[in-house]
Amino acid sequence: MNLDMALQTFLGESRELLTDLEDGLLGLSGDAAADAERINAIFRAAHTIKGSAGLFGLDAVVAFTHIVESVLDRVRAGDCTIDEALRTLLLSCRDHIAELIDACAAGAPPAALLERSAALGTQLQSRLATPAVVQAAAQQIEPRAIATTTDGHWHVSVRFGSEVLRNGMDPLAMLRYLGTLGTIEHVATLTDAVPPLAELDAERCYLGYEVTLRSNADATAIADAFEFVREDSLVRVLAPDCGSDAYLSLIRELPEADDRLGAILLAAGVLSPAELDAGLTRQRQLDTTEVPGHQPLGHILVAEQGVSPAAVNAALEQQSRARGSEHRQIRIGADKLDELIDLVGELVIASAATSLRATHSRDAELIESTQALGALVELIRDSALNLRTVPIGETFSRFRRVVHDLSRELGKDIELVLNGEDTELDKSIVERLADPLTHLVRNAIDHGIEPVEARLARGKPARGTVMLNARHDSGSIVIEVQDDGNGLDAERIAAKARERGLLRADQTPSEQDIFQLIFEPGFSTANAVTNLSGRGVGMDVVKRAIEALRGTVEMSSQAGAGTCCSIRLPLTLAIIDGFLVGVGDGTYVIPLDQMVECVELGGSQASEARRNGYINLRGRVLPLLHLHEHFAADGARERRENLVVVNHAGQQAGLVVDRLIGEFQTVIKPLGRLFAAASCFSGATILGSGAVALILDIPGLLAQSSGAGERAAA
Amino acid sequence: MAKSILIIDDSASMRQVVAMTLNNAGYDTVEACDGEDALGKLDGRKFHLMICDVNMPRLDGLGFVRAVKDNPQYKFTPIVMLTTEAGDDKKAQGQAVGARAWVVKPFQPPQLLAAVAKLALP
Repeated sequence: MNLDMALQTFLGESRELLTDLEDGLLGLSGDAAADAERINAIFRAAHTIKGSAGLFGLDAVVAFTHIVESVLDRVRAGDCTIDEALRTLLLSCRDHIAELIDACAAGAPPAALLERSAALGTQLQSRLATPAVVQAAAQQIEPRAIATTTDGHWHVSVRFGSEVLRNGMDPLAMLRYLGTLGTIEHVATLTDAVPPLAELDAERCYLGYEVTLRSNADATAIADAFEFVREDSLVRVLAPDCGSDAYLSLIRELPEADDRLGAILLAAGVLSPAELDAGLTRQRQLDTTEVPGHQPLGHILVAEQGVSPAAVNAALEQQSRARGSEHRQIRIGADKLDELIDLVGELVIASAATSLRATHSRDAELIESTQALGALVELIRDSALNLRTVPIGETFSRFRRVVHDLSRELGKDIELVLNGEDTELDKSIVERLADPLTHLVRNAIDHGIEPVEARLARGKPARGTVMLNARHDSGSIVIEVQDDGNGLDAERIAAKARERGLLRADQTPSEQDIFQLIFEPGFSTANAVTNLSGRGVGMDVVKRAIEALRGTVEMSSQAGAGTCCSIRLPLTLAIIDGFLVGVGDGTYVIPLDQMVECVELGGSQASEARRNGYINLRGRVLPLLHLHEHFAADGARERRENLVVVNHAGQQAGLVVDRLIGEFQTVIKPLGRLFAAASCFSGATILGSGAVALILDIPGLLAQSSGAGERAAA
Repeated sequence: MAKSILIIDDSASMRQVVAMTLNNAGYDTVEACDGEDALGKLDGRKFHLMICDVNMPRLDGLGFVRAVKDNPQYKFTPIVMLTTEAGDDKKAQGQAVGARAWVVKPFQPPQLLAAVAKLALP
C-alpha cells in the first residue's frame, strides 16, 4: 500500500462525509434532542475531513475546514444556533470544501478558490466570539534542533508516578525506548518507595531509575522518552560534562537519602569519591541548616561500608575499562562494510587476472610474486568476509520466546535446546534466515510435538524437545530444526501428493523423496488448519527463501520418533573458490567445496560411459552427466574428456567436461531475472581474460539431470 | 513476533495511513471504525498498544478508554490518543479517564512512531 492509495480512500471518504454533512444540515428540524445528534454528526464530518486532509498535506483544506469546525464547535457547545442564514452559509462552505479537496488532490488550488476560502472565512468569523487563528501552519511540527552535542554520557533520573501503570504506561517500555537513543550503560533500580508486602498495591508503580546513557541525542529527545509520564513523574536529565555540581544538586533534589544516591552515582561511575566529598562538603559549608558533626559523604560511604573501597575501586576500574574498550570497538555503517566487500571482490578478480597473465608469460619471478600477492588477497578476502559474520546465537535465542508463547497457547510442554550458537555466518544470510526458521520452529511445535497424553502413551517424556543446531560442514553451514515429536507420515504425504497431482499413481518414490514433496507449493497435510501454521504459507515458501540464499533444505524423519529439517547454506554469498572447466567453447565454474576429484576419461571408457550414462569408479556406480550435450554446447568435443566428481549432501555424480582449467577464486555476480528459470546456474563471474563464465549450481544441475533421466525412463 | 496494535478511527484514510506507517515499522495492526467496533475486536486478543481517535460516532474515544480501563484484561494496555483535539480541556478530560499519550493530527510518521515506540518498541 502507498500514500496514493490512501489518498484515493480519503477522496471517497470525504465525499461521503460531505454528504453526511449536507444531510445533517438539511435535516435540522428544531427538535432539540434529535438536532443535538445531527449537530454532532455534522461537527464530526468536518473534524474528520480536517484531520485526514492534514495527513496528505492538503493545507488549504485544513485551513478552511478548521474555521468551519470552529463555528460548528460553538454550535455544539450551545453558544450559537443554526439559523437559516448560517445553514445557507454552511451549505456553501460544504460545496466549497468539496471543490477545495478535488483541486488540492489534483495539484495546487487555483487562486480564485483560495479567494473564495477567504471570503467564506470572513463570513464565518462573524459567528465566532474570538476569531479563529488559521492553525494549519502552526500545527506543523517544529523540526527538532539538530543534536550538536558529541557522543557523551548522559545521566537520567526518573521517579515514576504511582498511577503510571494504571494509565497504561510501562516503565520498561520507556527504558527500552531510551535504549534506542543510544547505549544504556548502567541502570540502578530504586525500590526505596516499595512498601511492605501487606501494603503493596500491585497496580501502583513504586519504582525509580538512575540511568547512564551514552548517546548523541539532545536533551529534549532524551527527556521526551518520558513525555507521556512527565506530568506525574519526576524526570531529570543531566548532560554529559555538566560538572559534579549538577550531580550534587540532583542528589539533593531527589527523594532518596543522599548517601544512597551517592553510592549509586559512584557505582555508575559518573562521580569519583573525591568529587562527591568535595562537592558535598562545599555545599554544606554554604548550607546554613548544616547538621553539626556531619561527615563528608564519600568518607561515610566508605567508613560505613555503604560502599566498600574495593567496590569503589572496582567501579572506577570498570569505568576506565569501559573507556578503554570504547577505543577497541569501532562502530561502522553496514553499507561501508558492503562497499569494502565489493571492492575486495573486485580485487580478487583483478588478482586472478594478474596471475593468469603471469602464468602465460612464463616469467618465473613474476609468477612467484603474483602467487605471494594472491595468497595475501586470499587472506584479505577471508578477513573482510569475517567482518560481516555474526554468530547465529542471537537469531536462535529469539526462538525461546516463540517456543514459550506457542507451547503455552497450544497447551504443550516444550523445551528448546540450542546447539552451536557460536557458529558464525554472513550477517546478510542470518537476516534472511529468521523467517524460514520461524516457520520451521512453528511447524515443529504445532505439527511435530504431540499433546502430552499422546507422548506419555508412546512412552516418551511428557516434555517435548525442539532442537536448533548449527555447525560448519565442508564449506557450508548446516542448520537443523529437530523435534522429538510425531515424525512425518510418508504414506499420508504420498496419498496427499497423489490427490494434489504432485505424484502419479504408478510412482513409488523412496521415503526420502516423499518427504521432499512437502516443499511443493500448495502442500499441507495438517488435518485441522490451526491458528499457527497452515495459514496458506507453506513449506514451499521456506524452500524458496533458502534457495534464494543458494542453500538447500531437506527433511528426514522417523515415524513416531521425530523430524529433522536440515538447511545447508553457503558460508558467504559473495565469493567462492571455484574450479574452472571448459565445455565446448564455453567456460564454467564448479564450486570447489563440492568437488571430490578429477578423473581422465579416455578411449573405450569414454564410449562406454556415453552408452551407459554411468561408469564404474573404483567399484562404485557413478551416474554421469555429459555437460557438452546437456548444455548443447557449441564447438567440437575433445577426444579425451575429463570427469569431475562432485558431491552434494551425500550424493555423488560425475560431470563430463571437455577441459580442466584449474582452481580459480571468483566473485559471484548474480544473474538477471531472465535466468531465473535456469536452476543449474547460481551466478556468473568475470574471468581474468574478461570473458564471462557461468557458475554451476550443483544441486540444481543434479536435480535437473535426474528429472531428465526419469522423463527418459518413463 | 510482531507487536499488535489496534487502530480506532472513523476515517478510513486515517486508519490506512496509520496502519501503513506502523506496518512499515514492523507492527501488526487491527483496525476498528469506532469505539463499539473496537470493543468487539478486543475479543480476548493480545494488543500491545491501542491508537484511538477522540471524535467518533457511536462510542467516542474517551468512552472507549473508560470501557477499556474497566476491563481487567486490557486495563494496563497503553493507549495513544491520536486526534485533532489539541485543546487543554479535552486533554484534561482524557487525563481524567487515564489517557496520557496525546498525539495531535496531522502527524508526521516519525512523530507517531516515536510515540508508539515509547510505549511498545517494535
